[in-house]
Formats: sequence, structure tokens, C-alpha cells
Amino acid sequence: MAKKLMKGCEAIGEAAIQAGCRLFFGYPITPQNEIPEYMSGRLPQVGGTFVQAESEVAASNMLYGAAGAGCRCLTSSSSPGISLMMEGVSYLAGAELPVVIVNIMRGGPGLGGILPSQSDYFQATKGGGHGDYRLLVLAPSTVQEAADLTMEAFDLADKYRNPVMILGDGLIGQMMEPVEFKPGIDPAALPDKAWATTGAAGRPPNIVNSLFLKAEELEQHNLDLGAKYRAMQSEVRCELYRADDSLDVLIVAYGTVARIARTSVDALREKGLKAGLFRPVTLYPYPDEALARAVERARQVLVTELSMGQMVEDVRAIVAGRAPVAFYGRVGGMVMTAEELAEQAEKLAAVPA
Amino acid sequence: MPTPIIEADRCKGCELCVHACPEDVLEMSTNINAKGYFYPEVVRVDDCTGCRYCLLVCPDTAVQVENRGKTTVRTEGLTEKPTTYCPGCTHGIIHRLVGEVLVEMGIREHAVGVAPVGCSVLAYDFFNCDMQQASHGRAMAVATGIKRGRPDLIVFTYQGDGDLASIGMAETVHAANRGEKITVVFVNNAIYGMTGGQMAPTTLPGQIATTCPLGRDVTTAGYPIRIVELLSTLRTPAYLTRVSVHEPKAIMNAKKAIRKAFKFQIDKVCFSLVEVVSTCPTGWGQQPHEACEWLEEHMLPYYPLGDVKTPEAAH
Ligand SMILES: Cc1ncc(C[n+]2csc(CCOP(=O)(O)OP(=O)(O)O)c2C)c(N)n1
Repeated sequence: MAKKLMKGCEAIGEAAIQAGCRLFFGYPITPQNEIPEYMSGRLPQVGGTFVQAESEVAASNMLYGAAGAGCRCLTSSSSPGISLMMEGVSYLAGAELPVVIVNIMRGGPGLGGILPSQSDYFQATKGGGHGDYRLLVLAPSTVQEAADLTMEAFDLADKYRNPVMILGDGLIGQMMEPVEFKPGIDPAALPDKAWATTGAAGRPPNIVNSLFLKAEELEQHNLDLGAKYRAMQSEVRCELYRADDSLDVLIVAYGTVARIARTSVDALREKGLKAGLFRPVTLYPYPDEALARAVERARQVLVTELSMGQMVEDVRAIVAGRAPVAFYGRVGGMVMTAEELAEQAEKLAAVPA
Repeated sequence: MPTPIIEADRCKGCELCVHACPEDVLEMSTNINAKGYFYPEVVRVDDCTGCRYCLLVCPDTAVQVENRGKTTVRTEGLTEKPTTYCPGCTHGIIHRLVGEVLVEMGIREHAVGVAPVGCSVLAYDFFNCDMQQASHGRAMAVATGIKRGRPDLIVFTYQGDGDLASIGMAETVHAANRGEKITVVFVNNAIYGMTGGQMAPTTLPGQIATTCPLGRDVTTAGYPIRIVELLSTLRTPAYLTRVSVHEPKAIMNAKKAIRKAFKFQIDKVCFSLVEVVSTCPTGWGQQPHEACEWLEEHMLPYYPLGDVKTPEAAH
């Protein structure tokens, strides 16, 4: 397929279709309306179905039904809508249903604003809904990567029978970049899901369920889920940028913020400062070993996010005192400039060893 | 000679069959079964006419009837598992009707049921077809997902009144309004059974429940919601009907309505909802047969039986 100039949101929608997804359930919310809009036009062209749900609560439960029936399906929303979906997300995780959920984050709390943010990191990676569960969380930083990760998300969801979240921000959703799609998948060619509710013809009934009334059984279920989440650790992914040698400052950032940080790193390097970037691509599982290794070579660590400091808590836990960890965040839809960030890094680098 | 056959160990001693028999063929035994319940015994077999009323009202499929060398059998639409419902709870009767319809229409192997949160949360253990368990109130959203993904499957939800008419009201109204081709079995027992008898959106004015100990006060709680009438205001074609299971003839009619509701789905005609006026003897604090009488006397005037909307009569 040739390269096409596309908005991040549209690229995510098209990638889902290329991944063999033929179902979208969602409710409009800025700044991700381009996804449902794109899907409403595109899905019928490929024999798929778009449903504008009555709410995000309903959308997440429609996903449950469709995924339970063995179908690849997608929803997308932005922060307040994702909060409403948390009921469905917890049930999806409990019933081990593979779905892909896109969160194009906006500022909060409450109605917050409509501008880019990364303040749903906790919600995405630590729970958000009730119960002990984890989502696989992928954080793209370019439109191309958003497309690639969305396609892969469907495979990962099927592989682990687990919901996968694409965690982006308003910037990635709205920016236009050239994108090329990997060869598409015919949904009919996807392997059958033996556990799905497709009609009990010639076999005992299949049941999609998250209820375990006996304590022993629910404990076992949680232990099994825990083992699955541990197995998911093998999916960790990250990118290091100019971070091979010993560093004055290692910047840690994800998503579009990591692109800003790259520019800052280049500027710092030009000034003769040894700066590098660590960008987690998977936020859960977190690439903790890779980060720990990178930190071994760094004198200072600077975490930067469009939040009041969420991922930084994970970074501090991983660094575990081996280097000082500073934080720089902008919130409310304000986005740091590369210069602003470089200045922060410079200040840190100036601290005597 | 016709005769009822009692499977004593399935019986929960509700006595509904004893009360339903027009010929007083049955009497409660003074022995108890393996579960510790008194069970009915056939005491006047010569009077049995083979009307099957005992079978119809039994919530636990503990009664079969032998007549002219043929014996009725438990429907394959249900699993062998005894239900977890209280003695005399009409959920069991409605389960049987749905199970029978699935088998008689030949759709059991293409059916996916959605169990709600409520007393029937374990319905997935009792219906002998593929099942999904939904979160409280979202059964119709889940059913929408299944049906849109797999239009070839026959999808039904089985929901209580708290589930469907309170927490799930938005999902109910919108699934109906989109005209989802699904079949909804709505069990209206005027109370929250599972959580211990709290007020439901369908609790009658003045009816006592654990969260309205002085009776439902319509000045603060409003009047009970009549779901089929409410949905009938939607323009989208639908089959909306109300039936009851308090006595054998009503049960036969209920089955006809359930069958029709599946037929409309098979023929891709419309959304169908069958409201089944039901009892909750435990929650209401009544004997099962008294609860049936109470239903007739108090619920039916407020919840009149019959079709409220049919797809032919679109407006
Ligand atoms: C989100 C949520 N809220 C509350 C509950 C608790 N709950 C379980 S069943 C139920 C009421 C069910 O009543 P109804 O739908 O009338 O069914 P019944 O038990 O009477 O058959 C409630 C409130 C729950 N499980 N989930």
C-alpha cells in the first residue's frame, strides 16, 4: 500500500479495518470524533457495522457481546468517556475478552478540557475499573506508529484474551502524517475462537462470564489472570534515542511528548550536553529492565508528561534511588516546548555529580 | 390412565402443583426429599385428567405427566442443573418456557442468551445454549454486540425489573429504538429479589419493600414504570407484549408470546420484548400460591396483560 497523508484518528480507524475489525461501537467525544466518523463511513464499505451507542457504558458492553461472540471489535473515546467505559473494561478483563480500546486523552479531572493530555496514565495502567486486572497499554508517538500498534493490538488482544488500550493524546489524534498500512487481514481468515458464543451446535454450551461465587474459584481465576499478566511482560517495548553512552540527563517520555523530547535531546547535544531519551512504547507492561539499564549510564533522570506526574511514579520505583529523578509536566492542554524542556534538562545537568 | 410423575428430589416443596390441580390429585407428602423439602405425592390418580397443569406450574421441572403410554420429558433447552431459585419462584417456570421454545423452534444450537445481574444471574448454568453474563442492566447492549457481530445467531436477554427498568433503562430504550433484532424476556416481579427485596421501579404503590418499609410512596418514588407501554411510544416497529405466569392458562399464553418473540427475530422483523408478570414469594413474604393470587389481584390491574404493540401496527 502506498503512503497516505492521514490524521492520527483516521489512521487508527483504517488500521483497525486492515486488522480485520468489522465492528465499531462508540459515543462521540472531542478530540477523537474523527474515529467514529471515519468508521461510520468506512465500515459499511467492507461489510462491517458501525453502531453509535447511547453512551460509553453501552458501547463498552456492546464490545463485550461482540468480542464474546468471537468478533474483532473496536471502540474509541476520550477521557470522560473512558471513565464511563470502566464498567465494561472490568467485565471484559474478568471474562477475558479480546477488544481494542482507544483513548485519545484530554485534560481532566471532571469535564476538564478538550486539549491534549496524558493524565489518564494511572487509569490505563493501574486499573481504573474495579478488581485486580491489567490492560495491555500501547502508546504511539507518530501516526505511523499509531496505525502499526492498532493493527498489532488486535493480535495481542487475541493472543492474551485481554483488552488492549491504545493510549494517545489529542496531538496524535489530530496531527496529519504520511502513513503506510501493513497488508490487511481478511476477518474470515482469522482463527476460530473455540471459547466464543457462536451457538452450541454439536458441543456443550460456551459461557462468557466473570462471576465466580466460590472464593476458591475466584482466587484461582485471579491467580490465572496474574499469570497471564506476567506472561504479557514478554511484550515490553521501548525506544532509546541517543542514549547509548553515559549521560548527563536521561529524559523519559511517552507518546507525542517523546517527540518534543527528541528535539530537546538534539538541542542539548548541540550544546555539548550528553542527553538521551527513553521512550516506553508499552506502558503496561512497562519496559522496566530496559529503563533500569539505561539509568545505569545516566547521572540524572528527567521524566516529562502532560500530567501532574503519573508515569514518574513508575520510573521512580524502577530507578529505586540509583539516580535522582526529576519531573517536569504541563497540564490542562498546555504543551511544553522543546526549548522549555531542554532548559529543565540543562538545569539538572548543571547539578554537580 | 394419565398420571403425574413426581421427581421428588428435584422438588423444592412450593406446592404450586397441588394448588393448580383442578382434581386434587396431589397432596404434600409427610416425608422429605434429599434437599429437605416436603414433596407432592399422587394420591387420587383415578381423578387425573392429564391436563398437565401440575407440570406447567412447576418451577423446578420436577413434574412430568404420563398419558396414553407417553411421558413428557424435561426440555433439552435446560441443563440438568437444579435452579438456585427459592421455592415457588416463577423464574423457574419462565426458564422452562424459554428452554422449550428454543428446542421446539430448532434454534437452541444457534442461540446465545444473555444473563443479567439479579436472581437470574446464574441463568447461564440453566439454559442449555451458549450464554454470556452481562453487567447489571447492560444485557441489551451485550445482546446488541452479539447480534451486530453475528446476525446469524438468535440472541435473547433474560432480565429482571431492576436490571432492565432501572439501571439498564438507557440500554433498554435505545436497543428498542434502534430496533435491534433480539428477543427480550423481561421478568417483572415488582421487587429486587437478589439483593433482598428492595423497591424496584415496578414496585406497586403502597407495596412494602425493604427500602420502602411503609410502602411505596408515589409522591417521592413516583409510580411504577410500565415498560411495554413506555416503549410503545417509540416509532420503531416492535413486538411488545405482557403476559403472566400465575396460573396454567396464563403460562400457556406466556409461552405463545415467547415463541412469537423469537419468530419475529428469526424472520428479522423487529425487536421483541415479552414482559412476564411474576412472583417473588420470598421477597413479598408470601406462600408461593398466595403470591400467585396477590399477583392476579394487585399486579394485573396495574400491568394489564396483552399485546401493547405489534410490528404490523406501526404508527
Ligand atoms: C452496578 C451494580 N449495582 C448494583 C448491584 C447489586 N444488585 C444485584 S442484583 C440487583 C437487583 C436485581 O433486581 P431485579 O433486576 O429486579 O432482578 P431479581 O433479582 O428480582 O430477579 C442489584 C441492585 C450490582 N450487582 N451491580
